[in-house]
Amino acid sequence: MGTLMASTEESSVVATTSLPIEHRFSPYDFNGGTVAAVSGPDYVVVAADTRLSSGYEIKSRNVTKLHALTDKCILASAGCKTDVDQLRSVLDIRGKMYQYNHRKPMNTPSVAQMLSVTLYGKRFFPYYAFNVLAGIDAQGVGAVYSYDAIGSFERTQYSAAGSGQAYVIPFLDNVIGNRNRLEEKPILTATEVVELLKDAFLSAGERDIYTGDQVEIMVVTRDGIQTQTFALKAD
Amino acid sequence: MTAGSQMNANNLHEPAAGFDFSNYLRNQNLLQTDGAAPKLKAKKTGTTIVGTVYAGGVVLGADTRATNDTEVAERNCEKIHYIAPNMYCCGAGTAADTENTTALISRQLELLRMDTARPSRLVTAVTLLKRMLFRYQGHVSAALVLGGCDLQGPHIYQIYPHGSTAKLPYTSMGSGSLAAMAVLESSWQENMTEDMAVQLVQRAIGAGIFNDLGSGSNCDICIIKTDGTVDYRRNAVKPNELAPLRAQVQRSGRLNMRPGLTPIIKSEFKPHPVVAAGGETAMEVE
Repeated sequence: MGTLMASTEESSVVATTSLPIEHRFSPYDFNGGTVAAVSGPDYVVVAADTRLSSGYEIKSRNVTKLHALTDKCILASAGCKTDVDQLRSVLDIRGKMYQYNHRKPMNTPSVAQMLSVTLYGKRFFPYYAFNVLAGIDAQGVGAVYSYDAIGSFERTQYSAAGSGQAYVIPFLDNVIGNRNRLEEKPILTATEVVELLKDAFLSAGERDIYTGDQVEIMVVTRDGIQTQTFALKAD
Repeated sequence: MTAGSQMNANNLHEPAAGFDFSNYLRNQNLLQTDGAAPKLKAKKTGTTIVGTVYAGGVVLGADTRATNDTEVAERNCEKIHYIAPNMYCCGAGTAADTENTTALISRQLELLRMDTARPSRLVTAVTLLKRMLFRYQGHVSAALVLGGCDLQGPHIYQIYPHGSTAKLPYTSMGSGSLAAMAVLESSWQENMTEDMAVQLVQRAIGAGIFNDLGSGSNCDICIIKTDGTVDYRRNAVKPNELAPLRAQVQRSGRLNMRPGLTPIIKSEFKPHPVVAAGGETAMEVE
């Protein structure tokens, strides 16, 4: 007749299932990879691995994460490949329009601002792209800009982004940023920086499952862009 | 009074049998707090393991990468566990679960061998494992490939975390199992020689190492023959050596940390007080 059953002391606690879950389609996929850039007095070095992954699978061992927006400026992006591709398209179009209107290509600080504005334009459905912009600025000095997904940016001497970011940045902090070292901060040549980035990516490849296969390294100087590749482990 | 426990005669709380779920709500809350989730993650192995029967016994194979989500926690761990002198077990899933489950059943079998004065049989190991795993309803995340030879011949079994088992001529488990199975399905044949079987297992594990991101580094092999001998080949194949790649980099002297480079912020020396009973210094020799 509706009497309440007193729960006995011996009743075991059964794991309660959680509340009803609404299943939604996620428009984002993380395609992995690491990018890094280091600037110097008259050069900038950008490096990115060439592995494209999805979940636990490798989709391709040879896809570039670097994209030259002008002959002095390179955009390196990790994240969702389709968003990265679309972002590159949009930036290319806007860069072309600038060139037609001003009769000259955009300089690097202007590209940096344009990228920030483009990213914030999709503040409420962001580009899943972790960007590092590297180029030679109007004074001929190397410039690196690091971004978050919605356009907050800062000019820095060096930067890294992507799945292996946590393995590369502390290393660069020590060697490029001279942190925790009692000596004069040295001025490194582009060749030395290239070798340091190769080492950094080898280490990142050891511990990050999404980083590997190959590193593509571009050196930008006032004379143009030179590219080289370096093999990483394929496992 | 914590749920699931009872008072005994000495007024001490005895834990109830099976799993204690009293931390469930606390864990759910923790997962909602920012930054606390990593504390609750168990290390998974993200693995490729295979086993196959051949004319003279069984061959087991495993990769050697252990991952914590997407970070490689260990580059050269051992995934082929000893169960008995004539039985080894490959484990995929949560590392702590596979290690402790195989160790537990291994020790139970040793006691049984002392009791029965006979070598262990695979069906015994399989039954002990599946009974335990079913009791834990899949919460013990151990997916195993058990292989060995007993008086009835060579056998391979696969055991799932929820407690189901299958007896098969060849099998693969773990995140790289599809890559490995692709190789096994295309090349496996009955009554292989030892060399053929070892080559097949190495190729299957290699497929997992290179095509599955959860597997990597080296390949371990274990051959258990019907005559009772065991050939445990740790790192039988090492296709991912780092040294040749590092050698190609012209390492800058900048990387070297010489003595004197690290800043010393504060330096303090406190001698450790030595007081013997009776007040004499302990260094006095009588």
